[in-house]
Amino acid sequence: MAGLDILLQNVANGVLMGGVYALIGIGLTLVFGVMRTINFAHGDFVVLGMYSAVLFNALLGWDPYLSLLLAMPIGFFAGVVVERFILSRVVDAPPESALLATLGISLIIGNAILLTFGGEPRSVQVSYASSTFSIAGVNVSMVLLLAGIATVIMIAALYALLNRTEIGRAIRGTAENRLGAELVGIDTRRIHSIVFGLGVMLAVMAGVTLIPLLFATPTNTGAVFTLKAFVVTVLGGLGNVGAAIAGGILLGVVEVLGASYFMSEYREAYGLIAFLLILLFRPEGLFGRTVKRV
Amino acid sequence: MIKHLIGLGVLLAVGIAYPAIFPNNLTIAISVLLFAGWATSWDLLGGWNGQVSLGHASFVGLGAYFVAIGQSQFGLAPWWTMAMAAAFAAVLGYFWGQLTFSLRGPYFSLSTIAVAEILRLVAINEEWLTGGATGVFIATLPEPFGIDLFSRTAQFYMALAFAAMVIAIVIAISRGRFGYQLRAVREDEDSAMASGIDPTATKLKAFMLSAALTSIGGGIYGIVLAFIEPHVIFALLLSVQIALTAIIGGRGTIWGPAVGALVLVGAGEMFRTTFAEANMLIYGILILVVVLFLPRGIVGELARRHIRRLYAKRAQG
Repeated sequence: MAGLDILLQNVANGVLMGGVYALIGIGLTLVFGVMRTINFAHGDFVVLGMYSAVLFNALLGWDPYLSLLLAMPIGFFAGVVVERFILSRVVDAPPESALLATLGISLIIGNAILLTFGGEPRSVQVSYASSTFSIAGVNVSMVLLLAGIATVIMIAALYALLNRTEIGRAIRGTAENRLGAELVGIDTRRIHSIVFGLGVMLAVMAGVTLIPLLFATPTNTGAVFTLKAFVVTVLGGLGNVGAAIAGGILLGVVEVLGASYFMSEYREAYGLIAFLLILLFRPEGLFGRTVKRV
Repeated sequence: MIKHLIGLGVLLAVGIAYPAIFPNNLTIAISVLLFAGWATSWDLLGGWNGQVSLGHASFVGLGAYFVAIGQSQFGLAPWWTMAMAAAFAAVLGYFWGQLTFSLRGPYFSLSTIAVAEILRLVAINEEWLTGGATGVFIATLPEPFGIDLFSRTAQFYMALAFAAMVIAIVIAISRGRFGYQLRAVREDEDSAMASGIDPTATKLKAFMLSAALTSIGGGIYGIVLAFIEPHVIFALLLSVQIALTAIIGGRGTIWGPAVGALVLVGAGEMFRTTFAEANMLIYGILILVVVLFLPRGIVGELARRHIRRLYAKRAQG
């Protein structure tokens, strides 16, 4: 029975961690689905979220979840500005230009944080950081559970936005066919700005929910999160929000199980190997329709 | 062609005289030359062939580790280990390419990051081979013809030879059949196939050559560092730096990557005190400038203006 308990424990941790990965992945996949841009700066926006929580905590003594109230709108606005002034200029250039532009943004964000906050890892101490409670013998970390709840709320809100509102319809229309959307009177430039803003907002939110759990460092963490977001979205299928959720949970479980049953030093590698296998054998993702878009 | 050979002659002449004129600025010059060589090698695949790799640090690391481990564990001289590293890099490039060249565009770039990260994790975790996270130290080096390879002057000449060799290879390729095949595949794989070119074979050859050349530079870098740590030499940032150097300088041009290396390493040195560790900020700003205003890179844009002026003159005359 002990083996089963440990398995359940690992799966629970994996699923909760995967929820946060999903949150990061959804932002990336939303931007890709609508703008056809692979956003290399996505992980750096996650780190920016982490540092915003650090900043609000240091200045005002706020709990990370309280700072979401300010961090999310600021993130959205920052995304809109970046899209307006940089990405909208390369939207019709070869796809590589947008990729390189986001790579530049990534380097600028990471190094600007390094200049402002210095290189030491930062975190926010919260009273519930190490508290856990158990459900049916499975210990669940409070921080991960809160992150999981935040993820579920955010995904529900996003689902409602995409499927129940006029803007959501315009976003889906633009993703489906940009020219067609323009022909029926949708301002796709505005939609691009909104979508990039949403993507950044999701990244910032994921960063804030992660800060009680992880240390933030300026340049390395960004790359790690960008990579994880890629893995999540490619696992699920780029440009598909629902699949990113499944991809995130899958990555969380694969990492935790791989680390506890095989070699723990290769924790990061399991996700990458799964990523390569999927890219090679099912480039449309595990849940994607078999349409070659590449 | 003649112009490029003259350019190469000038590079060599300036390079040979350099240590005598600026004996105190050798480290930065070595950096410029190594980046020039790496970026030019990267450009064979990324510029001439259009396959943007973000994993070239793997080959730098491979070269450095071959030299360091060969020297410290087996007593092999660096020139043998560099040759072995180049051969191994070509083989690795072959399998890596076989695995990932079915992917196009951004998907290929993503897969190169994944492969490079896996190699980095292997270097950190396989301690029996690489010394793990602490790294490998080169304590002694042979002295061919009484030359001390630990001296900066000797290292400078090695880096100069490396950069000149890579540029010479690119000059030779650019006018040959292979050079045209590379560009045809870059412009349109399907049309290239229709004209009897095998795109996958072309990309594989470019990747293998690019990998082998990069690893030779990596071997020299290993000697320069004398102490090799996996998280420095296999870093994603180094891969990004190599790619951006070539792109900012001008992809698919002979001198672009070298000019990029001069500009970026120079700028990094100039702002060293201002930005300290954050000097990748310059790469970020410059790549945005290039993407938004100079899509062909510095040299590419200059060349285009030059050609347009020539046409304008001809039209007037």
